[in-house]
Amino acid sequence: MGKAKREYKADKIHALLWGIFSVGGFIAAFLLPILIYINNIAYPLGLWPVANSSLIKIVFMVSLLSALFIFVTIGGSLFHGIFRFKTTLPELGLRRASSIISAVGYIIITVGLIALAYYLFHLYQQFDPSLFHRII
Amino acid sequence: MATRGQGVLEKMTKETDIETATLKVFRYRPEVQLEPYFQEYKVPYRRDMVILDALNYIKDHVDGTLSYRWSCRMGICGSCGANVDGEPKLTCASFLHEFKDKEIKVEPLANFPVIKDLVVNIEDFMEKLDAVKPWIIRKEETPPEKGEYRQTPEELEAYKQFSMCINCMLCYAACPIYGMNEEFLGPAATALAYRYIADTRDQDHEARFPIVHDKEGVWECTLVGECSVACPKGVDPMLAIQKTKILGATQLLKPPRRRK
Amino acid sequence: MTSEGSTGKYPEYRKRLGPGWWLSNPRYTTYMIRELTSFFVSIYAIIYIYQLSLLAMGNFSSYDIFVRNPATIVFSIIALFFTLYHAFTWFYLIGRIQPIKLGRNKSTTPLQALAINLVLLLVISYAVVYLFILR
Repeated sequence: MGKAKREYKADKIHALLWGIFSVGGFIAAFLLPILIYINNIAYPLGLWPVANSSLIKIVFMVSLLSALFIFVTIGGSLFHGIFRFKTTLPELGLRRASSIISAVGYIIITVGLIALAYYLFHLYQQFDPSLFHRII
Repeated sequence: MATRGQGVLEKMTKETDIETATLKVFRYRPEVQLEPYFQEYKVPYRRDMVILDALNYIKDHVDGTLSYRWSCRMGICGSCGANVDGEPKLTCASFLHEFKDKEIKVEPLANFPVIKDLVVNIEDFMEKLDAVKPWIIRKEETPPEKGEYRQTPEELEAYKQFSMCINCMLCYAACPIYGMNEEFLGPAATALAYRYIADTRDQDHEARFPIVHDKEGVWECTLVGECSVACPKGVDPMLAIQKTKILGATQLLKPPRRRK
Repeated sequence: MTSEGSTGKYPEYRKRLGPGWWLSNPRYTTYMIRELTSFFVSIYAIIYIYQLSLLAMGNFSSYDIFVRNPATIVFSIIALFFTLYHAFTWFYLIGRIQPIKLGRNKSTTPLQALAINLVLLLVISYAVVYLFILR
C-alpha cells in the first residue's frame, strides 16, 4: 500500500475554466475564420463579399445580433487563445514562471473582454437607428 | 571493453559470416562512477531476435554486470519497458530487424529516475495506481445468492479497452507533461480510474473525482497524444483523460444533490 | 525492497527534459505547432479589439489606415491560416473523442468527423456572410 503523498482535492475552478476554454475552441474553429477573412482580408483587398459594401456593414455594426456575434467570437477566441498559450509557454522552458504567466494571461483576458464589451456598446449606441435595423 | 565472449563472437563472425547487430546500451553504475555512459555490444543477429534476446545474450555471454528488468518475454507482464532508439518500447516486443542498420540505442525508460543501467524507480507510478481506487465501489452489495452483477456487451465495451493495461509505463515515458512534472497523475493511472468510472457495476464515481480532478490530475494534460501511440496493448489513455475532463466540467459544477 | 524502491545508498540518475524536447520527435513538433496556433488566435483577437477601439472613438480614418496597412493584412492572412489549422486539428481531435453514431453499429472515424465539421464550417461561414452582409 503506498503512503498517501499528499491530499487530493477536485479543482472545480480549473474544471470551469477548462469548460470555457473548450467552448472557446469550438468558437475559434467555427466562427473566427470568416470574421478574420471579412474584416481584415476581404475588406482591405476589396474581395467578395465586401466589394461594394459600406464600412459600417463590414464591421457588422448594424444590429444587436451582430454585436453579440462579435462578442462571442472575439471573446471566445481570446479566452481560448490566451488560455492555451499560457499553458504552452511553460512547456517551452519557462516552467518556473508558470504562475506569473497564468496570472498575466487571466488579466489580459479580463481586460480584453471588458474592453470588447465597452467598445461594442459604445459603437452600437453611436449609430442612427433610422438607417439600420436595430435588433436583427 | 573486450571480453572473452566478444572475442569469440568476433572470431566466429570472421570465419562463418554470422550477421551481427550492435547495441549501444546506457550504463549507469553509481558504485563505480556517477557519470552515465554508453557501452557498445555486438550480438549475433537472427531475424527473429528481439531486443530482450540481445540483452540476455549480452548478460549471459559478454557482460554480466548489465542490469535490466524482464519476465514473461511475451508482452503481457509489462516489466521490460525501455527507450529503444528514442521511443518507449517493450524490449520483448521489439524485433532487431525493425531498426535501421541493426545498430540500436537502448536507454532506460524516459522520465523515471534511474537506479542502475536500464532499471528505473517505478514507485511514483505504483502509488498513483493505488490512489485512484482501482476496484469496484458499491453503495449496496447484493448477496451472492442473488447472482452476479450483469452487464450488456455495450456496457462492457464502454470500459473494456482500459482494462487491458499491463502497467508497462511506456505511456509515462512518452508523455512530455509527465517528463516536465512528476506530480502529474499521468495516462495509465487516469485510464485505470476511468476504467472503473465507466464500469456500470461501480456505484461511486465521485470517490475518484478528488484525485482525477486534482490540479495535478487530468487538467495538466494538453492532448499531446503520445501515450496512446506508445501503448503496446491498444489502450487509449488520451481518450480516457479527455472523457474524464468532460465528466469534470459537467459533473463537478453541479450541486451535490443532482450528480449522478 | 523498501517502499521507496531505491537502494538508498547510491544516488539515482535523473535526466531533466530540456526546453527543446519537442524538437526531438516529429510528432512532438506537430503537437507544438498545433498549440502555437493559440498565439496567432490571441494576437488577432487583441488586434481586433484595438481596431474596434479606433472605430468606437470615431476615428474612421485611423481605422482605415490601420486595416489597409500591408503588415496588418499579411498578419491577418497568417492568422487565418493558423486559425484554420486549429480548426482542422480541433475537428479531428473531437472526432477521436466523440465519434458520431451512424446507425446502430457504425461510428465515424476521426477523418469522417473532420470532413463533416469542415462542411459545417463552410455552412456557418456562409450563414454569417448572408446574415450580416448580403442581406
